[in-house]
Amino acid sequence: MSTIKLFEKPLGMRDTFPQTYEKLEAIREKGRHFLYAHGYDFIKTPSVEYYDTVGKASAIDDASLFKLVDNQGNMLVLRPDMTTPIARIATAKLLKEKIPQRLAYFASVFRAQQTEGGRPAEFEQMGIELIGDSSVFADAEVIMTAIQLLQQLGVEAFTLTIGHARVLQAILQQYTANDKQMNVLRQLLVERNYVGFEEAVKSFGLPKENSVILLQFIEEAVNVKSVLNIEKYVVNQNELTYMYELEQLLKQANLIDYITFDFTLASHMNYYTGMLFEVFAAGSGFPLGNGGRYDGLLAHFGSEVGATGFGLRVDRLLEVVQVRESILATALLLFEPALYNEALKCANNLRIDGRRVTMQAISSLTNVAAYKAQFSEVIYLNPADYGIQEEGQQ
Amino acid sequence: MTELTIAMPKGRIFTEACKILENAGFQLPEDMEDTRKLMIEIPEENIRFILAKPMDVPVYVEHGVADIGIAGKDVLLEQQRTILELLDLKISACYIASAGLPNTIMNEVAPRIATKYPHIATKYYKEIGEQVEIIELNGSIELAPMIGLADRIVDIVSTGRTLKENGLVEYERIADVSSRLIANPVSYRLKSMRIRDLVSRLRKCVE
Repeated sequence: MSTIKLFEKPLGMRDTFPQTYEKLEAIREKGRHFLYAHGYDFIKTPSVEYYDTVGKASAIDDASLFKLVDNQGNMLVLRPDMTTPIARIATAKLLKEKIPQRLAYFASVFRAQQTEGGRPAEFEQMGIELIGDSSVFADAEVIMTAIQLLQQLGVEAFTLTIGHARVLQAILQQYTANDKQMNVLRQLLVERNYVGFEEAVKSFGLPKENSVILLQFIEEAVNVKSVLNIEKYVVNQNELTYMYELEQLLKQANLIDYITFDFTLASHMNYYTGMLFEVFAAGSGFPLGNGGRYDGLLAHFGSEVGATGFGLRVDRLLEVVQVRESILATALLLFEPALYNEALKCANNLRIDGRRVTMQAISSLTNVAAYKAQFSEVIYLNPADYGIQEEGQQ
Repeated sequence: MTELTIAMPKGRIFTEACKILENAGFQLPEDMEDTRKLMIEIPEENIRFILAKPMDVPVYVEHGVADIGIAGKDVLLEQQRTILELLDLKISACYIASAGLPNTIMNEVAPRIATKYPHIATKYYKEIGEQVEIIELNGSIELAPMIGLADRIVDIVSTGRTLKENGLVEYERIADVSSRLIANPVSYRLKSMRIRDLVSRLRKCVE
């Protein structure tokens, strides 16, 4: 192995430079303000959790976990997502105090390092969890909050694709011969491999009408404007009624234009038990985030209450969101060492007026002109004005 | 009409891929095959083609700089990228197989497999319960068993002529390969009208 050069940082880790930091902060502030106003309480959880609790329960693939060992020999993970730690706290403590809980977060999560670019090992996520409400109103609230948050952040072209884990499950189960076939098909849909799906259906030797229905379903259900369009395929009428109610609520909120339904949507996370959705926006080649109902995760932590939520990837939001350049202009206050007192006063007054001020002793600059050029405004306290003899100034 | 960027594989598949697009009613420029340009705009169709190495097509599509692309199933199996596989174009059909010198058995201690598909080879031998060592090569894979570098090779076979001329025989058939239409998941949602239209036009030509 070659030696590590001084400028290097661990694979997949990124520095946040001032300009990006400001943009990030603007997103964080807007998001926090918006979610707080919608009744969500922000919380923080440790960066490091036990593998046996959060690591195992997390939806993130085991191979993508960042693992460490503590000095007692316990396996630890850097938190791979926020939903699992929040489910841990909610079931252990918060739900005993108040139910339902509306929680929000803005935090870094970690994924095992990969050599290819565009896959940071640490990135920020912003999202909400609504725990302890199994009604359609909770799901509608989560979807609405996601859409309105994106609007608030100034994301222009985006769309949410909504599916339902159990509707899909029931249809696959109905028209296949056994669970093995069903799981094969489900996995192919997780991989979004429609070609493989078609091949698999043909290879199963199912009754002709079943094959036809499955293939038609895949073709039609990928992009439906209204839930009722897939009624003929649906086996479990209750779930469809639920989705229809959801559609009506979103219509009432006037948000239906942002939504398409895709009943072939399947997630590798098997704790999604109800509706699930993905967020796509122009400007990023990768999904901006996802969400859904995950009653299964709460069950894992020993609670029977429902939970739903979403998370957005802030690193991808950064690519998509336009933020106006440098919000605050900075004034440079150059002072001669003899005028330190006056400079302090002057800076203070400017700052009280809400100005951003950089104080700099002129004597320690090597290139005054180049430094001045970095600022939109330069204030120089002239010793002559204060009756002080100039010395050594060119 | 939103603009569509299509990543096309240079080389072997290119001619067939162009033909299928023309059959589907797309107006392609005549010199498309001879040009050395890497990016070709077709304003009438509001389409932009980028010409990439076959192995790189899924990379452009996964990162979303190309909305859709045409890629061999061998490449998709090897790279495991997050893309949508929309349609089997049924062109450039071939298969991936293991091959070696006739009447040989694999070394018992450390059987060596030469291939340019390390992922596919690893996965295949793992599934059949063979512990092997992979040697990655970039071409002329058939050389490896001939000169004693490896016991077997894993490579694509279309006519079998290269194997035959180099005195190798096929052992196991691993996977069927043909060209696929792939799409970026975000483009598939945001440009769904255009992509779905393209898929249905191409589907008619394939069948």
